[in-house]
Amino acid sequence: MSELIPIFLDASSYILILVLVALGLMIVFGMMGVINMAHGELFMIGAYVMVLTQDMGLPFLVGIVLAPLVVAFFGLLIETALIRHIYHRPLDTILATWGLSIALKQLVVLLFGPESHSVPLPVDGSLDVGTFSYPVYRLILMLTSILLIGGTFWLFLRTKFGLMARAVIARPATAAALGIDTRRMYRWSFVIGTALAGLAGALVAPIISVDPQMGLGYLVPGFLSILVGGAGPLAGVLAGGAVIGGVNNLLAVWISPVAALITVYVIAILIIRLKPEGLLGGRRAK
Amino acid sequence: MLELRNLSSGYGDALVLRDFSCRFENGRVTALMGRNGMGKTTLLKTIMGLIKAKSGSVRFDGQALETWPTHLIARAGIGYVPQGREIFEDFSVTENLQLGLLGQDPVGALPFSQIYDWFPLLKERADQRAGTFSGGQQQILAIARALVGGPKMLLLDEPTEGIQPSIVHDIGLQLAKIAKETGLGILIVEQNVEMVRTLADQVLFMENGEIRESCDIEAVKQDDTLLHRYLSV
Repeated sequence: MSELIPIFLDASSYILILVLVALGLMIVFGMMGVINMAHGELFMIGAYVMVLTQDMGLPFLVGIVLAPLVVAFFGLLIETALIRHIYHRPLDTILATWGLSIALKQLVVLLFGPESHSVPLPVDGSLDVGTFSYPVYRLILMLTSILLIGGTFWLFLRTKFGLMARAVIARPATAAALGIDTRRMYRWSFVIGTALAGLAGALVAPIISVDPQMGLGYLVPGFLSILVGGAGPLAGVLAGGAVIGGVNNLLAVWISPVAALITVYVIAILIIRLKPEGLLGGRRAK
Repeated sequence: MLELRNLSSGYGDALVLRDFSCRFENGRVTALMGRNGMGKTTLLKTIMGLIKAKSGSVRFDGQALETWPTHLIARAGIGYVPQGREIFEDFSVTENLQLGLLGQDPVGALPFSQIYDWFPLLKERADQRAGTFSGGQQQILAIARALVGGPKMLLLDEPTEGIQPSIVHDIGLQLAKIAKETGLGILIVEQNVEMVRTLADQVLFMENGEIRESCDIEAVKQDDTLLHRYLSV
C-alpha cells in the first residue's frame, strides 16, 4: 500500500501542473474560443522572467509577481494589436498566433541564447513520511495549483466580472444591448488567461529546463486536456487534465513513457470520436 | 424622445431601411406592424447600434447616437428585448436580471422588488435555471432584464412569437400598466393583432423599409382594412 502513495502523489502532481498550465488556455480557448498558438510561448516568457529575476539575485517571490504582470502586458499588446481584429475567424487566428509564437521564440533565442537555463529550487529539502520522501517544492506547487484553480473558478463563476464575461462569451450582442462593454470584457478575459500562462511558467520553472522550445511541449497536452474534457464548461479542463495527465503519468511509470504517450493519444482520439463535445459536454450549446 | 431622421441601413450592399424618419415620444406605446422582411427588426437593430446606420441620424433625448457602440446606447436609456428573447439559458433567473443591472448606471436602475411586483413569477423562481422556463416565462424574464436597468425607451422585437395566447394577453396588460405608471416609451414590433390592441396607443405600418401609414389605435380597432392591407399575404 505504502508504495502506491508516491505513485499517486506523482500522478496528482503531474495532473495539477498540467491543469495549472492549461488554466489560462481554458479561459482563452475553452471559454472564448480563441485558438492562441502562442499560448505556450507566453508560458515560456513567464519562465524566462523567473530566470532573469533569479540571475539578478532577486527573491523568488519577485519573479512570481513579475512574471504574470510582464506576460499580461504582452497579452494586452497581443489582444489590442492582433486578436481583437480576428475574433470569430479561427483560421486567421491560428495563422496569426502561430507566426507570433515563432517570433516570440526567436526573440527569446536572441536575448537568452538557444541553450536551456535552470532555476534553483526556492525551497530545498523534502518531506519524509515513513519510508518515502517527497520534494517540498512539488508539494507547494500542488497546493498553489489547487489555489489558483479554485481562484480562477471563483472569479468566473462567483463574481460579477465572471458573470459578465460568461454572458459576453455566450451572447455578445445581447450583453452589449444590456449595457455591458463587450470589448473590455473580451480584452480582460484574454489578459487574465495570458497572465495565468505567465504565472504557470514562473511556478514550473524550477522543476523543468527552461529553453526556447519548451512552450510546445505544454501547449499540446493543454489543448488536448480541454478538448477531451469539454471546451464549454470550466470544469472540463479538470476532467481532461485528470484523464490526460493521469494516464500519461501512471503508464509512464508502469510501462514506458513512449507507451504512455501512445495510449494517451489513443484514448484522446477515442473520447473525441465518441464524445465530440468532450467528457463534460459541449461548448456553448446554443 | 427618440427621433430618427432619414435613417438608412441594411446588410452588406442591400439597403433594408430607406430614409426612415419618425419620432417616438416617452410614455407612448407605438406598434410597428408589417409583413416579414419589411425592415422592422433591422430598424430596432440599427437604433441599438447592432447594425451600423449607413446614413441618417438617431437622436435620443438630444444626443446623437448613430455612431455610438451598442453598450453606450443601452446606457443612454434604451432597453432592448431581441427577437427570440435571447435569455442566458445556463444562468439562473437572478443572474439574468443582474446582467441587466451590471452594465448600467446604478442611479437610474430599478430595485429588484419593483421588478418582482410587476412579475411575481420571477421572485418565485429566482434560483431556477432560465433555460428550463417556457417560452412565455423566458419572454417575461427578457422584458424584466431590459427594464431593471431603468430605460426610458423600450424596444421589443416580436415578443409574442411562439408564446401561448393567455400569456400574450398578460404580458400586454402588464406592459401597458408599466408604461402608464413610469412614463416608459415603448416601440414594439409585432404581428400579433391582439397584443397591439391591448398595448399600443399608435400604430405604424411598414412596407419595404418605409412607413406607409400611421394611425391611432382606435382607428385600427374600428376598422381593420389597414391590418388586412399590410399584414395579409
